[in-house]
Amino acid sequence: MSLVADAFVSQIAAAEAWPENAALYQPLKGEQILLSDNASSLAVQAFLKMCNLPCQVICRANAEYMSPSGKVPFIHVGNQVVSELGPVVQFIKAKGHSLSDGLDEVQKAEMKAYMELVNNMLLTAELYIQWCDEATLEEITEPRYSSPFPWPLNYILVYQKRWEIQRKMKAIGWANKSLDQVFEDVDQCCQALSQRLGAQPYFFSKQPTELDALVFGHLFTILTTQLTNDELREKVKKYKNLIDFCRRIEHNYFEDHAKDTSAGGMQRLPKGPSLH
Amino acid sequence: MASPMELSCWGGDWGLPSVHPESLVVMAYAKFAGAPLKLNVVDNMWTSPRGVVIPVLTSENTSVTQPTKILNFLRKKKYNADYDLSAKEGADTLAYIALLEEKLLPAVLHTFWVDADNYCTVTRPWFASRIPFPLNLYLPGKMSREALNRILVTKGEPPLYSLNDVEAQIYKDAKECLNLLSNRLGTSQFFFGNTPTTLDAFVFGFLAPLYKVRFPKVQLQEHLKQLSNLCRFCDDILGGYFTYNITGFSPAGQDTVDANLQKLTQLVNKESNLIEKMDDNLRKSPQHFPQKLTTLKPTRTGEESSSQHLSP
Repeated sequence: MSLVADAFVSQIAAAEAWPENAALYQPLKGEQILLSDNASSLAVQAFLKMCNLPCQVICRANAEYMSPSGKVPFIHVGNQVVSELGPVVQFIKAKGHSLSDGLDEVQKAEMKAYMELVNNMLLTAELYIQWCDEATLEEITEPRYSSPFPWPLNYILVYQKRWEIQRKMKAIGWANKSLDQVFEDVDQCCQALSQRLGAQPYFFSKQPTELDALVFGHLFTILTTQLTNDELREKVKKYKNLIDFCRRIEHNYFEDHAKDTSAGGMQRLPKGPSLH
Repeated sequence: MASPMELSCWGGDWGLPSVHPESLVVMAYAKFAGAPLKLNVVDNMWTSPRGVVIPVLTSENTSVTQPTKILNFLRKKKYNADYDLSAKEGADTLAYIALLEEKLLPAVLHTFWVDADNYCTVTRPWFASRIPFPLNLYLPGKMSREALNRILVTKGEPPLYSLNDVEAQIYKDAKECLNLLSNRLGTSQFFFGNTPTTLDAFVFGFLAPLYKVRFPKVQLQEHLKQLSNLCRFCDDILGGYFTYNITGFSPAGQDTVDANLQKLTQLVNKESNLIEKMDDNLRKSPQHFPQKLTTLKPTRTGEESSSQHLSP
């Protein structure tokens, strides 16, 4: 987007107040959504809740094709549609809500760096496990991803998406990695997050930021989703402060809404354990 | 240590020990950790290592590729530049490296391999001259296609449909990343105090080529030059850890390189120094692109300008 367009969008965004009927779109919770999409969706929901902006979660089978960037989740606010956490954070900032304003320049740099770490390692690992690990692909990804679509569209869409992800893995040099190496990367990433968090309630002490929302989205989803084996979850479970961190955010921001939206992982997959 | 460790990497120019970011990361880390590496520079000989998987570290019949893996290998060999870091600083290192890879790397790749002006006038001739015929006709193009593919696959998603949109986005990201790094570095000498660590090796590896290589299109370079602490950081490392390079030689420790090649390297470096000097003089008139000066004969004056230009 050009600078002019950017400025234009933020002008418009700033002019309007947060509407009552703001909505977040994601794939069907029960039978369709995948681990990585659920993580991203939960991250955006957590961010909106931290900003204290009400937002209704709407599940649509074709959410991926409704999104302007082809990625879920996206939010529909007034006459604007914004997808993914990064742009959503910018959009909300233009509306005058920001969680990271209190940080100094060095902390902001640190926050961005850790967000890239989560995207670079956790998100990529989730995609790898979903689409490149044969067992997971066959047992979970394929049936779930194709569930709303009739034959032969179900096969075509799965094939297309798989091809796309594999091309991406090849380009970033992950194609030759084994599953164990991927788990090792996840472990390394969790270790880094755990050490950064230490004994603080949030990554930047008392107040949550978008980094907390992002980390919560991914870790909570990993912790509550049943995959073909427990290895991924075990990697996260080793770090007690990260589990406490997930509980804390769940308790502070999701508890009273648990029925309608949010802590999706638990209802979504019956075998998934509760955090309590 | 039984046998010497050998690093195959792309050579240097423009006052750099290597123009290739990933080679430079490994070389800088080896310097910081005090690991004795025998450098095996890719040059125009059939005996030299070839291919696009550079840098490669070989030791006792094992070969390791990719900077992160090479650095891990060196750490296992007890060459560790991160001994003094706390656990949190170790975590920060990982996070900032992820930031570099996600935000800065696409723009660096684009500057080197995709931007048509830069690729045709600088990158392709430079790399082709170090790869023997007939591979020189093929490999640079392959590396360029791979870079473009990586950029498009990782960043070229809707709504960025045209290459122009993607370019605008990656340069915007890269400039933001440079600002963040500059803020993080502040006035300290290295990222974690007074000794260089892994993170410094990575930042240096990505920034120094942007800073020093003379490209016709310099939008990222100009931005970097405004961030004086990052420039100072690069100059400090070049001056403090790669001093021999100022004399115009390619990296030390390579007895394999014959005298002819050294002469050639000297000549090339003199020429580039001269270009740098001329370029400095002409800076006020930006319409003069450096490549127009390459026809000038190299003269002795190049040597003075080199020391003047490279001093931190």
